[in-house]
Amino acid sequence: MKTMNAPWLVVALREVETKVKDKAFVISTIMTLLLIVGSIAASTFFANKSEDFKVVATDQLSYQVLQRAQDQRPENLNLTISQAESAAAKEELNGEKVDAMLSSTANGQEFTLTGFDEVDPQLQDLVSSSMTTVLTDQLLAKAGIDSSQLPKADQLKVSQLQGDSERASMVRAMAFLFSFLFYMAALLFGMPIANSVIEEKQNRVVEILASTIRLRQLLAGKIIGNVILAMVQLLLFISAGLLAAYLAPGEIPFLGVVAQVAGWFVVFFLGGFLVLAGIWAALGALATRTEDLQQSTGPVVGALLAVLFIGIYAKGSFLVIASYVPIVSSVAMPIRLLSGEVALWEPLLSLAILLAACWAVLLFSERIYRRAVMHTGGTLTLRKALKLEV
Amino acid sequence: MLEVHHVSRSFAQRLVLDDISFIVPSGALTGFVGANGAGKTTTMRIIMGLLNASSGHVSLNGSELSGDTRPNFGYMPEERGLYPKQPVIDQLLYLGQLHGITRAESRKRAMDLLARFGLEDRAKSKLESLSLGNQQRVQVAASLLHEPDVLILDEPFSGLDPLAVDAMSSILRDYAARGVPVLFSSHQLDLLDVLVDHLVIIQEGKILANSSADDLRASQASRHRLSLGADAGWLRDEPGVSVIDLSGSQALVNFESEADSQRVLAKALGLGTVSEFAVHRPSLADIYREII
Repeated sequence: MKTMNAPWLVVALREVETKVKDKAFVISTIMTLLLIVGSIAASTFFANKSEDFKVVATDQLSYQVLQRAQDQRPENLNLTISQAESAAAKEELNGEKVDAMLSSTANGQEFTLTGFDEVDPQLQDLVSSSMTTVLTDQLLAKAGIDSSQLPKADQLKVSQLQGDSERASMVRAMAFLFSFLFYMAALLFGMPIANSVIEEKQNRVVEILASTIRLRQLLAGKIIGNVILAMVQLLLFISAGLLAAYLAPGEIPFLGVVAQVAGWFVVFFLGGFLVLAGIWAALGALATRTEDLQQSTGPVVGALLAVLFIGIYAKGSFLVIASYVPIVSSVAMPIRLLSGEVALWEPLLSLAILLAACWAVLLFSERIYRRAVMHTGGTLTLRKALKLEV
Repeated sequence: MLEVHHVSRSFAQRLVLDDISFIVPSGALTGFVGANGAGKTTTMRIIMGLLNASSGHVSLNGSELSGDTRPNFGYMPEERGLYPKQPVIDQLLYLGQLHGITRAESRKRAMDLLARFGLEDRAKSKLESLSLGNQQRVQVAASLLHEPDVLILDEPFSGLDPLAVDAMSSILRDYAARGVPVLFSSHQLDLLDVLVDHLVIIQEGKILANSSADDLRASQASRHRLSLGADAGWLRDEPGVSVIDLSGSQALVNFESEADSQRVLAKALGLGTVSEFAVHRPSLADIYREII
């Protein structure tokens, strides 16, 4: 005789099996995966994409301006220049062999940049600034001043005492991503816990289940099943994202830090999700019909939105406090870890608080569940549920 | 033998069960009757451990049942409960596994039970696509899947067609024959009459009767049915006779003693023809109406 699975495992496997067979769930997971990989690929592609321009000058001064433009061009802009007679240049432009033609009036005071049907604004900006430089140099030369003596924009150096701006923008981006992932998973995998509790209550299956296995096992199975689903999906998303970022052409800054903090995030996510799972189960037990859930979940969805916004916008000491508050800490602590300057004991303490909260919520939910799940006469308040006798 | 010992239960100060005691003998079918709200479902839930008794306890073969589950009990709740959107076989497999039976064994037993109810070709159908009667059969199958040591069924016959009633009856008899105590509630008194060996009658949280069906019938065995050639109205004035029902030449009476019955028979023969003079075997329905 084969050894049998513990009841909670049977329940958990059924939760997983039901979800994995659900086409909507599979499709949404695949779509999200594609979206993650696609957006990372697209952003690195655009960041590294360079524009090529061919511009022809019809006179010496225009050619000089273009030469200066070549010196001043930004990294992602390639400029090929040539010089031709006006008529020949026009022909080249008509045949779209060049992107633009630059010509100046005889007195060298006015320039015309002509495109075939449009002039790229990047090109226009570049030519405009190099034209200003060339004309200014001419004036300075007449006045006998060397242009290198003029004050320049790069004489102002920017620095900050803490961190650096690139890192700050990386933290902002990742904060958004963490917050969003947590919010999505909490709804996507939390709501089904409440729903399946209500479903069993509504169908009265729970009476049969409760006479077969302990309600604690049933509750544990439901929570564990959904935790497994949520974690597998999260790990899938994170590893796809990191892999895409790793393989992408061009360097993504702070990939090492992000990968490390992603590990912390997974741990905090697990704790935060367990707390939520307990709350969802208790809410499901309190409601009688699926419709009731809409009302009772309001506060939880509100709390989740708060997590989302705190994750995205919180700063300074507010963020520090948030990083110790269970559920919110699942997002807030990883965000602090991203910006560096966090001692190791901080995430460990926060995690300990989270686990304590987890334990308390799960025990409390079990009490509610045990009392309320057999009660069918209308929606219960928390107070009423605690007063019920089993 | 399953025993309920002095069980009381109240909900928010309302006493629903008032010190009830009764037995469910092994190897017998025990009927549990009472009006709606008499306390049948609460009693069954307490036996199943779904509710706690305020006082008293339940024991099986002499040992007190404790804990909140009775995994070796088969239970069919009053409000039927299975997953409507799941195939029949899937939920039976799930319940079987929760009972600690392997998947393969669960499948075998589930298919056997479905075949017994003529539902083997509906195994893959969603429960909600079955007729109510067939859903009920699946529900029964769910309570029998783990070959329980005790069967507690709340209204197993309600909503079943005559063929399903026969199938259900034969299954319950089979279980009883294995030595399993079977307790089921029903409002169908004529069905109980042919089926049960033991009867428990509950009224407003109190047990009014708890004995074998034969004993109950014997307690009323002094009833006689009389069919005379002429009007039977003179029976009302006979000493030692109480008339239960009388219309024209027909009467249903209770004799105080055997001597009374013989005296009345002699008198009736003297007065004219007697086409029937028989001991009337009361149905459980009669007894129930009498007791309540």
